[in-house]
Amino acid sequence: MDLFEWIALILKLVFVLAAVLNTVPIVVWFERRGSAWMQGRVGPNRVGPFGLMQPIADVIKFIFKEDFVPEQASKFFYHAAPVLAAVAPLAAFAAIPFGSYLIIGDRQVPLQIAQLDVGILAALAFAGLEVYPVMLSGWASNNKYSTFGALRGSSQMVSYEIGLGLALVSMLMIYGTLDLNAMVKYQEQTLWGFLPSWGVFLNPVAFVIFLVAIFAETNRLPFDLPEGDAELVGGYHTEYGSTKFLMFFFAEYIAMIMASSLLITLFFGGYAPLPGMKAGVDVLASALGFGSVGTQNLWAVVQVLSMIFKVGCVMFFFVWVRWTFPRFRFDQLMDLGWKILFPLALINLLVVAIFIAMLGG
Amino acid sequence: MAIIVSRKERFLDKLYIPALLVGLKVTFRRFFESLFLGRTMTIQYPEQKREYSQRFRGEHFISVDANKVENCTSCYLCQTVCPAECITIIAEERPNDQNPYGVRKEKRPVRFDIDALRCCFCGFCEEACPKDAIKLSRNYEMAVETRAQAFYDLDHLKREVKGRG
Amino acid sequence: MTKPKITFDGQTFEFEPGDTIMRAAERAHIDQGIPRFCYHPGLPIAGTCRMCTVEVEKAPKLMTACSTPAADGMVVHTQSDKVRKSRAGVMEFLLVNHPLDCPVCDQAGECSLQNYNYEYGPGTSRFRDDKRIWSEATTKRLSDKLTLNMNRCVHCERCVRFTEDISKSNELLMENRGWKKELVSVADQKSFDEYQGNIADICPVGAITFNDFRFKKRVWFLKARKTLCDGCSKGCSIFADEEKHVVYRYRARRNDQVNGHWICDEGRVSYKTYMNPERVIQPLLKTGAEGVACSWQTVLSWSLAEARKAKRVLLLLGTDATSEEAATLMQILPSYWQAETQIRLWNGTGEGVQRSSDDAGLDKLLRRRDKTPNTKGLEMLGLKPFDPAQDQGFDLAIYYRSGRATLPAAPCASVEIGWGVFDRSEAQRFAAVWPGQGVLEKAGSYTNCDGLTQSFDAAVASHGGCAPVKKVLDALKVLSTSASASHEEVALGSV
Repeated sequence: MDLFEWIALILKLVFVLAAVLNTVPIVVWFERRGSAWMQGRVGPNRVGPFGLMQPIADVIKFIFKEDFVPEQASKFFYHAAPVLAAVAPLAAFAAIPFGSYLIIGDRQVPLQIAQLDVGILAALAFAGLEVYPVMLSGWASNNKYSTFGALRGSSQMVSYEIGLGLALVSMLMIYGTLDLNAMVKYQEQTLWGFLPSWGVFLNPVAFVIFLVAIFAETNRLPFDLPEGDAELVGGYHTEYGSTKFLMFFFAEYIAMIMASSLLITLFFGGYAPLPGMKAGVDVLASALGFGSVGTQNLWAVVQVLSMIFKVGCVMFFFVWVRWTFPRFRFDQLMDLGWKILFPLALINLLVVAIFIAMLGG
Repeated sequence: MAIIVSRKERFLDKLYIPALLVGLKVTFRRFFESLFLGRTMTIQYPEQKREYSQRFRGEHFISVDANKVENCTSCYLCQTVCPAECITIIAEERPNDQNPYGVRKEKRPVRFDIDALRCCFCGFCEEACPKDAIKLSRNYEMAVETRAQAFYDLDHLKREVKGRG
Repeated sequence: MTKPKITFDGQTFEFEPGDTIMRAAERAHIDQGIPRFCYHPGLPIAGTCRMCTVEVEKAPKLMTACSTPAADGMVVHTQSDKVRKSRAGVMEFLLVNHPLDCPVCDQAGECSLQNYNYEYGPGTSRFRDDKRIWSEATTKRLSDKLTLNMNRCVHCERCVRFTEDISKSNELLMENRGWKKELVSVADQKSFDEYQGNIADICPVGAITFNDFRFKKRVWFLKARKTLCDGCSKGCSIFADEEKHVVYRYRARRNDQVNGHWICDEGRVSYKTYMNPERVIQPLLKTGAEGVACSWQTVLSWSLAEARKAKRVLLLLGTDATSEEAATLMQILPSYWQAETQIRLWNGTGEGVQRSSDDAGLDKLLRRRDKTPNTKGLEMLGLKPFDPAQDQGFDLAIYYRSGRATLPAAPCASVEIGWGVFDRSEAQRFAAVWPGQGVLEKAGSYTNCDGLTQSFDAAVASHGGCAPVKKVLDALKVLSTSASASHEEVALGSV
């Protein structure tokens, strides 16, 4: 790697980090005001215009709270858990492509931090780490509620990873690759001339399974049993306060953003805008007098924006679902995971395999 | 004896997905109405206030006559009828200079205390009062900073309240 | 000889010859069915209010129950339609000029006019003109103890007859006639006798009120407890009206053997000794110049040590102790220490009354020189009065008294302990004070000046740390037998 690549890498890292971390307060704000609107309330609107400064006020509040550590806690793991919780989903972003490439000088700069042939596996591997902070925090807190929350969390996450994985495998069979960039390329094609050939249209059953599974993976309602405010006080993070809780709080939203990025990459064409837009961008670029390089760069910007737009839509869906559905009972949760999603995913996999065999790859 | 209710569930019902979609529709409609049409159930309280009934029973007051003398003759009827036992009266002879109408007021309250923390705002005192002296105003903003402030004395009760406040 | 019989509302009762119909009804205990304003069993008959009219068969008109002599075989109807109509008419006339100020009126709740109007009154008034108003006599001082509100007067003249026939002061009279009839006092706002409280008691409406109780409490909050007045050696029967263990007034209770229907004003306000805010209700132990409140254990341990050091102990029983208390103390208290214990009684009220032979009536009605209730009772126990000249040389003196007997002027011993009811200034001279019970808080019996022994029950609960004699003796026994008594064993009263 030469100097140019290093600088490009660092800039990309900064961009991704800044984009992700700044999305969190916006999502938090939307979670609070959106929930208010869905419930017919006004919501927090006092701090800043439209209450936009509310998340900042929240952060300040958290920072100035007492930073306590339980007497009986296992100190190292107790402190390691929130760090791991925040780091794992952030690391997974390395594999997610958020645009095709920019042309700077005569060099192509791919808009992806790590161009991996097995990107999906890397993303999954980091996402799989999500279970550890739950386990660690629950166990290290030395609190019965935390332990319950951790047990629930780990069993729930492991259970739903099966459905998630099987849904993924069916998609991998369709795309025929493990490279996320290649998957996006595949989805840039059109289906019968008008429909973008997104995964959601190719394999809607896998999409539903994947969607349900990521709700469970990110501990969002209706699957927020590890936290279970009503019966478990706060679940695995009962004993966390101040900045440490804030990190868990951030981690939850980062995990959501990561999961939605993965979801759109697999099922909604990733950074690919709608099929007709390429021509529009070309017309705009020629009107502005851009050359081929400029056209490509403009196209990349449109791709990044469309990626952000899609993530935003999925985030809206997350919030929408949270304020619509009640929480599951734990046995119902397990029933859904093992008795419905798992067999459904297996059948789906079989059907997809048969289709692919019949269509001849 | 238990009543057995059998529900007929079709396959679609068992799938729950239509029901989930209906739920999502409800929240989305509410979202739209709140955000764009401003139809919210809550109000911006200190600036906006709900219009309560004319008969709302709030903070107590004692009506005064033209000379700022309380109408109360400390007959103890409110104290007698009060189910929460929150009224305490100590009576004495009313001095004659407070008695412009001759026979009307023989007694006056030296102390008239209402423990608003005990009060259940039933309005019985208002109803029992033969002189229409004690009344419940429409003021519902009764937050105080100390317990002692919730213990209304005669001076507080004799404050000026227009109409029923 | 068989007694004559009279029939009330279908029931036949015997009566004594010479009874009026009302008296016969009283004997039959059905007199509550006959309303009355002017009639009072303790007063001469006036027959002016016409409220007590009853229907007597074969009589052409309704007869007044209070003044018509009962005859053998008389058939009386007290609740017939004719009678009730008559009563409704009387009530309507009375209420023509009666102000509608029951909420302000102190009599409300025990007012005859109120009660009878509920029972017999027409309920509505047809009177549309201005009511009679005495602007000057609205709240007029009748004497130093009574307040008159002439607007409320129903002209029953019980008060006038009381001063004429009972207290014999002849101070009250009615001026003018008809609806202008006004009660005036000859003494004009001064005290005219010592029985004025009874006038407020017998006034059927709120026209005359007793200043001490005026506006203090509404009567419906009060519960009447039967007890005895310990204000003098007469031992009058009274009701102590209390709410939440606070006594607000005494009222006379009918007892024909002792006080009839009356009590004196001094006795009427004597509840203040026990309801005094200055009364000592916690054990005190003197440290320096002031008595400091302490626990019973502290004060009793200290006192017991003092008694064990002493060679001669004086136990001075005030003549306001009940006979039971006195007997208990005489027998048990000296056994707690080795010292020689001399027991004497002490009265000292009414300019040096010491024995019951010093006692005499102050007037012809009730009041006595001896202002303690039980001088005779203690003498019957064999106690002799304390003589400062003879009984000397004590190391420790214990005074037991419950608020009425005085204290010897000069100290009787180097260490003095007060036991019973004291106010703060009286407690100054004592090295220790054990708070005891007043007559309202204890049960017992008194023997009055006529040798009549009357027992009574406690009217209210003990105030503060005041403890009964028996419990104090029990605690002393625990302390004197065991070296280390636990705090709980000698925790008396609510300290």
